[in-house]
Amino acid sequence: MRDLYQRLSLAPGASDQAIKNAVARCPNSALRQDAEATLAVSEHRHIYDNLHKTVSDIGQLRARLGLTHGAHWQGDVANDFSLPPDNAISRHDELIDRVSFAVSLHNRWQRFRGPWLLVTLFAAGAGIGLAFGLALGLGLGMG
Amino acid sequence: MSIARFSPFELLLLKSRSQVDTATLLLLAWVLVHRQHVSEGQRRRRLAQVTAQFRHGHELGPIMGIAHSQDLQAIQLAAEVVRKECSKEQSLSVLHQAITVATDDGEISLNNHYILGFLADLLNVAPTTFSTLFQELTGRPLRSAEDPSRDAYWQVHDPEYHARKQRDAQAAKQKAKDAQTKAEQRQRENKHKQQNKQHQKDQAQHEQAQRERTKQQQEGARQERARQEQARQRERQHWKQEKKRPYSPPDRTHRALAVLGLTPGASRTDIRRAYRRMAQLHHPDRFYSGSEHQIALASARFQRVKSAYDYLMQNI
Repeated sequence: MRDLYQRLSLAPGASDQAIKNAVARCPNSALRQDAEATLAVSEHRHIYDNLHKTVSDIGQLRARLGLTHGAHWQGDVANDFSLPPDNAISRHDELIDRVSFAVSLHNRWQRFRGPWLLVTLFAAGAGIGLAFGLALGLGLGMG
Repeated sequence: MSIARFSPFELLLLKSRSQVDTATLLLLAWVLVHRQHVSEGQRRRRLAQVTAQFRHGHELGPIMGIAHSQDLQAIQLAAEVVRKECSKEQSLSVLHQAITVATDDGEISLNNHYILGFLADLLNVAPTTFSTLFQELTGRPLRSAEDPSRDAYWQVHDPEYHARKQRDAQAAKQKAKDAQTKAEQRQRENKHKQQNKQHQKDQAQHEQAQRERTKQQQEGARQERARQEQARQRERQHWKQEKKRPYSPPDRTHRALAVLGLTPGASRTDIRRAYRRMAQLHHPDRFYSGSEHQIALASARFQRVKSAYDYLMQNI
């Protein structure tokens, strides 16, 4: 399994015309024949694209998990689909970080709930009293 | 720190009673999604059968949904969990399940070939162990994956395409041939017509000319005899006058010119040019790849051309 798109310097979603041009331009006759049989026929290309997507996904996963030199990842596939090592942090560590952040937020809320409740109650009472007093004062003034 | 929402798979993992089992479930579902010729219901049933002893405690539906969406981040997370938590025996059993899920009827799709390779690397299973496990489970050896990026693959899997291509090529060739033969035929007919016309004209002229010639011949014979005598006398005088000049019969010059493909009266530059061309044409080095006989013939021709040229250069 080789990456024909990469070898023809094309994007994986290239149009039929672009593929035709690239095939015509290709100097390697064996590669030209392979690309013609694989990419120029729509059914063949569909099958190839399906596999291409899976294999490039696996290449990405291997790069992120540090498995680019596995015993089951050799030959053409490893040559064409291995990516440079990815510096993205481990998904599992990220998940643990996020869970611990959520837990700390929750705990903080629990700890400060008593005092904040008092403050909010007082503020609400004062607001209602003020509004009531204002309304009464206005009513008397009008009358 | 990002305060992104938890993805569906992360939520499932957090709710799960056994994170390893949930992660394994996603990987198995990923393998199942890439199995061909299987309906969605069959996939779910198969997944439920294989994972009957799992202790995850949630529905399989959302897992299948995530696997269908090919969510790479979720799969990466599952792979990390499995790698962290699996012991040696557990990893073998995971691989066992993956192989059974991938090959119920023995056929393994190309996608699953690479996915199983990835899982084996992830779980630290050596290729020999993996291939013996595969042989035990399916009863057939694990062959290396076929390569659909090659022409040979399509010759096996889609012979119709190649037959069609060959037929097209042959038809194109036949067409070209037909066109050529037609053009040739037309040319020949044209030539034939022209020749016929010319022939008729020639015949008419010929008859006239013959009549005139018979009249002239009788007079001409007489005149020629007189002329020849005069020429002989002149030659004798000439011979006496220029006895010191080297003898060069004009016949030999003519022959030398003919060797170079020239007519009498050619200039020195013409001769030189003709000689160059003939020498290039008949040089024995041109035939070094041919037989010895060919080389010998070429060198004989070349010698003839060269001596003719030398002769002409000295005498003209």
